[in-house]
Amino acid sequence: MKKNKFTRRTFLKSSAMAGALGVIGSTSSAGLLTSCSGGGKNKNGNIPIKEPGSYYIPELPDKAADGKELKAGVIGCGGRGSGAAFNFLNAANGVTIVALGDVFQEKVDSLAKKLKNEKNIDIPSDKRFVGLDAYKQVIDSGVDIIIDATPPFFRPEHFKYAVEKGKHCFLEKPICVDSVGYRTIIAAAKQAQAKNLCVITGTQRHHQRSYVESYKKIMDGAIGEITGGVVYWNQGMLWYRERQPGWSDFEYMIRDWVNWKWLSGDHIVEQHVHNIDVFTWFTGLKPISAVGFGSRHRRITGDQFDNFSVDFTMENGIHFHSMCRQIDGCANNVSEFIQGTKGSWTTQGETVIKDLAGNVVWKYDQEAEKNNFSQTDPYTLEHVNLINCIRANKPIEQASETAIANMAAIMGRESAYTGLETKWDAMIASTLDYTPKDLNIGKMDMSVFTVPVPGKPHEKK
Amino acid sequence: MRGTEDFEGKNASPKKFHQRKSFYLLLGIVIGIILFVALYQTSVYFSTNESCMICHVHPHVEETWKLSMHVNNKSGVMTNCVDCHLPPIENTWDHYKAKITLGFKDVWGYLTKDSADFDWESKSELEYAIKYIPNESCEKCHQNLFPEGVTDDAITAHLYYEENAKKLDLQCISCHLDAGHYNPNYVHGKMTGIPGISDDKGVVDTSMFYKEATKVTVFDDYIEQIPGTAASFKMIAIPGGTFNMGSPDNEPFHEPNETPVHEVTVAPFFMAEAETTWDQYWAFYAETMSEGRTPPEEVYENNLKALDVDAISGPTPPFGFPDQGWGSGKRPAITMTHYAAEVFCLWLSLKTGKKYRLPTEAEWEYATRGKTQMPYFFPGNPKDFSDRGFWRKFFKAKTEPIASYVIYNKNSNNKTQEPDVVQPNPFGLKNTLGNVMEYCADRYDPEAYNKTNGAINPLITEGDEWVVRGGNYTSDAADVRCAARDHTHHEAWLKTDPQQPKSIWWYSDIKGIGFRVVCEPDSSIVQNQ
Repeated sequence: MKKNKFTRRTFLKSSAMAGALGVIGSTSSAGLLTSCSGGGKNKNGNIPIKEPGSYYIPELPDKAADGKELKAGVIGCGGRGSGAAFNFLNAANGVTIVALGDVFQEKVDSLAKKLKNEKNIDIPSDKRFVGLDAYKQVIDSGVDIIIDATPPFFRPEHFKYAVEKGKHCFLEKPICVDSVGYRTIIAAAKQAQAKNLCVITGTQRHHQRSYVESYKKIMDGAIGEITGGVVYWNQGMLWYRERQPGWSDFEYMIRDWVNWKWLSGDHIVEQHVHNIDVFTWFTGLKPISAVGFGSRHRRITGDQFDNFSVDFTMENGIHFHSMCRQIDGCANNVSEFIQGTKGSWTTQGETVIKDLAGNVVWKYDQEAEKNNFSQTDPYTLEHVNLINCIRANKPIEQASETAIANMAAIMGRESAYTGLETKWDAMIASTLDYTPKDLNIGKMDMSVFTVPVPGKPHEKK
Repeated sequence: MRGTEDFEGKNASPKKFHQRKSFYLLLGIVIGIILFVALYQTSVYFSTNESCMICHVHPHVEETWKLSMHVNNKSGVMTNCVDCHLPPIENTWDHYKAKITLGFKDVWGYLTKDSADFDWESKSELEYAIKYIPNESCEKCHQNLFPEGVTDDAITAHLYYEENAKKLDLQCISCHLDAGHYNPNYVHGKMTGIPGISDDKGVVDTSMFYKEATKVTVFDDYIEQIPGTAASFKMIAIPGGTFNMGSPDNEPFHEPNETPVHEVTVAPFFMAEAETTWDQYWAFYAETMSEGRTPPEEVYENNLKALDVDAISGPTPPFGFPDQGWGSGKRPAITMTHYAAEVFCLWLSLKTGKKYRLPTEAEWEYATRGKTQMPYFFPGNPKDFSDRGFWRKFFKAKTEPIASYVIYNKNSNNKTQEPDVVQPNPFGLKNTLGNVMEYCADRYDPEAYNKTNGAINPLITEGDEWVVRGGNYTSDAADVRCAARDHTHHEAWLKTDPQQPKSIWWYSDIKGIGFRVVCEPDSSIVQNQ
């Protein structure tokens, strides 16, 4: 060890060693003061859940390193597609967007105009693709990366085709809405691995520094073994579109997509997957079963529920609860809570770890992040990581991991819809397929889109 | 420097090189290297296909290998014997251990046995083949189980494998039996068409079809004809009576669930002379099979209400050929579930206007015994026929007279046989013992016999599994005694079925299971008797 290389790492090493020898007590930056006796413990006296290096931590610099020119195509040019396009452009130098696809001409043109105005990027008309097959044309237009932000129902087929053509992918979450889609995703993900592609999904908490630091702390044993958790996405009404004259059935549903089961997967899948994903990510566990309920009270359009409440049983027997609601005028909360044998972690309000007595023993320093980094937006940071991985030739494949949380959300939804318990083994092999039989851009049989009612009718006595 | 002093002090006259220690050390190393290289070269030599075939002289193995997709494929890649039959060379210890063990076994077999004596066909059955194809060898090359172009069914199956391989001890070749050696009787995929119904050109000859079911007016044997099909079978009139069910404690190989011996009375009934054949079963399949998967609850409910043949939901297409390529025709139909057997009876009842069903366990044992009260319905001590027990190490088991009545492990050639090759029991029934295990209408309860003493037409309705009786073509003589009881192993018999919910029609992991039907006579007929 060279003297002039007294880095943070070597400091930690030597202080840990000193602590283990009992020469001095060790103190952590967060002020945890604990004993250091016993084997297998780290400098804080915690037993790590996983050894450092055995789990993935993304590097999150403000901007991606310069490198080869990268061309992206955007599939789905609505709000999130446009947002993701600019996140991508802001994440690095030497990246551009060369093709756009959507089922509606005006969405494509609107994003093209925005790109021209704000980034001086020209998308010629022969690189603007419209229709249900637009995704193929974008993928085949000579791009390196696709940014896929259509309603989630379409994601599996898009991902499959993109991987077939050897494209790197940014996939907005969720990535599937049913069992058939899940299997398509899993197979495409394995093929992406085989082709050394980079696939990042829009579960941006994986690229949010407060979550990444929390994950490190928890892996380091800061709350002990994880024994359960509760995750929430309770908010007011999302949004809806009134049907306009001249809109086909298809057009209406697509424009109002967050309210239709087959397109969004319902909000437990479409939105709440973020929070469910935090629990499956932090524990590394799959749910083996789910029992949930949900209902519809206030929604104006579509065939979805307003709220879900689901109890999940994980592989090792622990439970976690998920609840989500989209109704105005109710108690709101979007956060995750995880309980461990030594303490708990929550993101409600501030991101903190408490001991079993309720004392805050660690708090994520939001101010420090703002001082130390110029880029704090996780929606941009996920593109920073994607571009860095592509340029450094370090394949990454997040779809398989996201698929687990995604399938958990589907299990919860199906349990709430039917009233029955859903099982992981059955769901991943199920024939559950949300594709409407007469899917086309015109008239569709709208009578099949009904709000689910669980259980059986009460018998009159 | 010290070494020099010693050398000069103790060894005044310098040793010649070959007398020095270092010489022997060097010699040892050289010999070691030569031995190692020789061993390695030997191992390499004995890992070639040609060297495998020095001992494996049966030509079938080479021909089928060359026809298999591991040689005969688009990519032109050839997979060699040791690639599949030994653990991958990266697992050094496992690889060489298996190599040495198998090598000795093969050389011993080559020197002491005649390869023409081996039953190669039965050695290519899954139960045997599974021992010689470790999963690791498959996975060494097939690292991605979800390659481009993979079908949804294959994704489902491979996800099932990935998640359950360790837990359930799943084997690659359970589904890919023909991967290394081509087998025209094995199909990897859903069975298409209806075997035995149409000719090569898909033409169905309806001139042979029966128009009407047999009318039965007296309590006597009859030949049932299934209308709208070419299938017929003999039914035997079994007079009612009282008998001792179970076996005494002193019967050889007696099991506790056969206790106590108790008196049971059964009413008269007709019983099929032989186990339900493929001819009959495919006729049923042809009329009732349902292509798509319907939730089991819907099928159960629908079939409860079925008043005519058209309303019956029958089996879905099986995976591969359920007859195992042994031939169909008069061979017993196998691998169907208990539910499928029940629906067959429902179909048969609606077709013929009679009341067909599965036999109760009491009816089955009564009919099998044929008024005898011995371990078998023919004379003989199970100890003389069974391979179990100390003396079997020195003396061969007797095969007569059992082999003329029962298809069991000594005479089956590891497959089911047609009923004509055995002698009937005193009632005229064939293959009640052996050939295939037969479903009964009862649930299995090991304590059942404590509850049914003196009963008339007993039927046990509580329990998780169904009673199966009679043993099968792989059974030891001990397990084909009249009193021997067994039951379904529902989960284990569906171990490799990747579907969810698992098939309610076909078992994926049991072959020697079938059934025979009984018919309840009209009360008027029995009174005539």
